[in-house]
Amino acid sequence: MKMNRRKLLSLLGMSPALLAGPGAGAREKPAKTVSGPVKLTGVNPRGIAPAVQLVPMAPRLTSLDGKTIFLVSDGFPGADHFLAQMEAWFKKNMPGVTTEYRLKAGQFADDDPKLNAEIKAKGNAVIMAIGH
Amino acid sequence: MGFPTAPMVTIAFKDLAKSNAASRGMPLERICFTPHPVWGKTDAEMYAYLEGNDPVSGKPLMKEVIDALTQPLTAEEQKTGSVEISTGPATYTDTAENLQQYYLDNGMTDFMQIVIPTEEKLAEMLKGTSHKPDEVVGKMSPARGSYPEWSFTVRQVAINAVMAGAKPEYLPTILAIAETGLTSLSSSTNSFATAAVINGPIRDKLNMNYGIGAMGPFAQSNAAIGRAWTMLSRNLSNSGIPGQTYLGTLGNGVNYNNLILPENEKDSPWTPLHVQKGFKPEENVVSVFVGFSISQGQGGIGLGVKPVPQYHEAIAYNCIPFGPLFGALIVCDPLVAQGLVELGYKTKEQLADWLQKNSLISAKNARSTLFANRWVPDAKTPDDAMIPYYQRADSYNFVVVGGQTNPYHMVANMSYRVSISIDKWS
Repeated sequence: MKMNRRKLLSLLGMSPALLAGPGAGAREKPAKTVSGPVKLTGVNPRGIAPAVQLVPMAPRLTSLDGKTIFLVSDGFPGADHFLAQMEAWFKKNMPGVTTEYRLKAGQFADDDPKLNAEIKAKGNAVIMAIGH
Repeated sequence: MGFPTAPMVTIAFKDLAKSNAASRGMPLERICFTPHPVWGKTDAEMYAYLEGNDPVSGKPLMKEVIDALTQPLTAEEQKTGSVEISTGPATYTDTAENLQQYYLDNGMTDFMQIVIPTEEKLAEMLKGTSHKPDEVVGKMSPARGSYPEWSFTVRQVAINAVMAGAKPEYLPTILAIAETGLTSLSSSTNSFATAAVINGPIRDKLNMNYGIGAMGPFAQSNAAIGRAWTMLSRNLSNSGIPGQTYLGTLGNGVNYNNLILPENEKDSPWTPLHVQKGFKPEENVVSVFVGFSISQGQGGIGLGVKPVPQYHEAIAYNCIPFGPLFGALIVCDPLVAQGLVELGYKTKEQLADWLQKNSLISAKNARSTLFANRWVPDAKTPDDAMIPYYQRADSYNFVVVGGQTNPYHMVANMSYRVSISIDKWS
């Protein structure tokens, strides 16, 4: 868990100097040691980051053969054309796979419960694309 | 979602995708990367991406996709639980010079000198509000819904106000801005800008400049309040990390201290913005906007017409380049507002109504714009049909600022978000 946490924090873009806490923090971006007598103490201006709740990934398939994959566009420009090419790729290279294209409703980051329900009922996996 | 998923992202968003997956609880999510960009590429070029390698792993891209869906999960990928995120030690001690460098090196500034937030300065700043330091003010993220929201207290807002060079009497306004939850450093690739319209008597109490050069660097209150918005956006919401929580490809100079617009209520012939939004004239209110940016309006048709320039035509013309993601915030000198009244637009609402009906675009052109799926015209609408830019008149908002040295206006492709009472933070 210790390894995971460090990796997680790094992925979150947090400066290790800040994350490591007092003492260890100085290792990454040390404030210079000085001879001058006047020192100040500044306070931390950061807000409160929420804890990260780890989410287990869904079980994988053993094979894609005979399965239905939903190709879901998040609405970014070009995603529809890209997924059309993905569809063509499967037809040519893995004809045993059925593909279904869908445009996710809402803004890019919005959930689409209706589509999720449809995929759960009719599909086996999702390929979601794409940012720019 | 409960089913195996292979998310696909272009290489330009590698850091963003990985950090976002981590913050949402899947640090090992099996993300597959394509070259960048996809937008604007031909079908053949995109197919070639699929036949090529994932630029991150170096392995064949479609094998990566298939493996993402079929390779058994590792123990790490199935972990549950909660991981606390530290935002660093409570204090830092060093010389003033080294502390300046420390705050800068650790991404806590706008890359300009700050006021070191000592406990003494913080205590002085907190005298600007009657609220307790530990009271939670609100939540903010680099883009709502796309990143985790950080929460923050009065004390933390006050620390950022100190760093920005604010006086204690500015604190209620800064707290109201913070309460809006709108970051001034949106993560979007579009390099968004933000604006805060200030209404009510507090504009004079804080010596805010709403006259000559209102949007420029000519008053401490305008400058420090605007700067504090960016400072607190950076530190209280984790906004503004290039590549991770900031993706604006060009960036935006407005982000340094934002558009601070104290409305020139005494010289405006119209109802102030906060009253339009349901507040009383004597209340002090901040109203925030977000969008692309602001541009000058001197190229508009109709401005050369005598004796009264056709300001409404000019505004409509100047809004033509606007994209459909945001509405219009029109910033008028009082002379323009007075001219519009002479033209028959006695209220902001009348002008908004005219603009909504008369700012038009052909269906063909609308379909060819970016984010065309956000326009209304369906397949049955003929190409030459003229449709309104905006479906609602309240997509247009107006604020009157300026010193009446010339009847000028500017147009911002920005949408209204929310108005918050400043008084409640006194």
